[in-house]
Amino acid sequence: MSTPQGNALQSRHRPVKIAISGCHVAKRFGHVQALSDASITVRAGEIVALFGDNGAGKSTFLKTLIGMVRPDTGEFVVADKPVAFTTIRDAHELGVECVHQDLALAPDLSVVDNMFLGNELLRPGMLGRFGALDRKRMTELADQALRELSIKLPSLKVDIGALSGGQKQALAVARAVMWGHTAILMDEPTAALGARQSEIVCDLMRTVADRGLGVLVVSHDLPRVLKVADRVTILWRGATALEAAAADLTVPEVVATMVGEHRGAAA
Amino acid sequence: MSAPATAVDLDLRSVRPKSALQRYFSETGTWILVLDVALIVLFGFLSNDFVFWSAANIQALMINGTEALLLALGLAMLIGAGAFDLSIGANLVLASVLGAITIKAVTGPADVNGNYAHLPLAFALGALVCVGSGILYGIVNGVLVAYLQINSLIATLGTMGIGTGLALVATQGGDVTALPGQLQEHFGLASIGFVPYPTMLSLLAALMLWLVLRFTRYGLRTLAIGSERTSAQRAGIQVKRHLTSLAALAGGLAGVAGFIDIARYGSTAQAGHVQDPLVAITAVVIGGTLIEGGRVSIIGVIWGTVLAIVLQMGLIIVGVQSFYQLIAIGFVLIVAVGLDRYRVRQRRDA
Repeated sequence: MSTPQGNALQSRHRPVKIAISGCHVAKRFGHVQALSDASITVRAGEIVALFGDNGAGKSTFLKTLIGMVRPDTGEFVVADKPVAFTTIRDAHELGVECVHQDLALAPDLSVVDNMFLGNELLRPGMLGRFGALDRKRMTELADQALRELSIKLPSLKVDIGALSGGQKQALAVARAVMWGHTAILMDEPTAALGARQSEIVCDLMRTVADRGLGVLVVSHDLPRVLKVADRVTILWRGATALEAAAADLTVPEVVATMVGEHRGAAA
Repeated sequence: MSAPATAVDLDLRSVRPKSALQRYFSETGTWILVLDVALIVLFGFLSNDFVFWSAANIQALMINGTEALLLALGLAMLIGAGAFDLSIGANLVLASVLGAITIKAVTGPADVNGNYAHLPLAFALGALVCVGSGILYGIVNGVLVAYLQINSLIATLGTMGIGTGLALVATQGGDVTALPGQLQEHFGLASIGFVPYPTMLSLLAALMLWLVLRFTRYGLRTLAIGSERTSAQRAGIQVKRHLTSLAALAGGLAGVAGFIDIARYGSTAQAGHVQDPLVAITAVVIGGTLIEGGRVSIIGVIWGTVLAIVLQMGLIIVGVQSFYQLIAIGFVLIVAVGLDRYRVRQRRDA
């Protein structure tokens, strides 16, 4: 995070086995036991899908992984090291980025400014000390990042508000990839997209995983995500009900587990 | 499945670039400038002997606009980040009262020849107290709004009452009068060439804030917070601290305006700032700053301030009773916000 230039987008392969994992995570909100025994492991270079019915605790689980929600119990590992995040900034520092369902973009800012929000580059020397932005370099790096993910935008200087839903989604993924160097978590990345744009986002996931990052995707788009994922974790009532290779599963099997019919039937 | 070999061509229809002229005239600020010029021409013809166009009157316009501009600039930064401040007028008054009391305390009463002791020190301390009190006031607002999460309209309405009351308590209900005349002579009513010192100061502040918004990380983050607060939070920006610093900035500018106030009049003018928030808010929103935040036009703030002041003084000069100004400014504010709504709807549709 401190040296974004060095961070930029070249091959980031590291000899890391586990990109991110959370084990036996529990979280209670008042009378609601949102999570009781949730576990997931995402290894470097693979895509893991997190499925679950509404209310199964997917979002809460995701938030505990990035430090947005503090769990009651649970062990977390990032880049093979045990961690305990208390804020989202802790997660950012270890290269864990999240693409939120609402994308977390600022519609009045340009593409470049959004890409660098929170990680702005300052000009060298005096001007930089006054907080002057190095927009030229930011634009170059943003352009490079988007190009590497094969994302084309009409201009990097337009406000995000002028982009289409697919463009915004691609941009949010690109931003996460730009700053994440360990794991990328995605919450319903295809929920707002059409068929073609959903395919594009799934291709992006694979591109990211191929660079050695762990990709965790929460989705209801079972057929599409099942196709792109390497492994699947299914939550049922706040606990992990199934962890299996995606190739061994069919959509009906996933659905059955999501609604609790195959309780305990491990693949 | 492997990475796509061909470039991803996402839907490109949504963006059509505009020409420079189109962009210039799509800025609300530009239209306000046109309106400013039209009003100045109109009031010139309506005034006796074209006195509205006289150098003295133009200078008076500038002086009168100075404090309003300082308040509007601070407010524009806050509105840019999605916050609000109704207490800027009260902040100005409290700062001016504390500054005036400080100056009087340091100089003591005039000697038999009408000379005061320690004048430079008194003025320096007075200015420091004004700005310091303004910043402190702003920080209080910021803490209430950002950390205690009180709606900024309510919080600053409350501190407006408190500030106004404290200023009256400090002076036992009156004004602090008869400050050393040198304050007016050397600063309040002095000018470089044609432009009064205080006006220079406020234009300098405008230039600085324009640079900040356009070229710095602070400006970028300010607009990001106003544009989408949760996004800014998730990007790791310390939103609460940032909002508090903005409130301190707006407060500091109000403090500067407070010092200018006593430097102009040689006394405090507590009753004269009731309309300040009305004028400042009008100047900001009419100039193209979005009231939801995320977009600030500093040049628009300047033209908006000019509009408010020209309207105020023009009506006086053509002999309309002064209370009609209030009606005119209130009317302009509502029209401005109406246009603002229209812009937002258009943006949503786009």
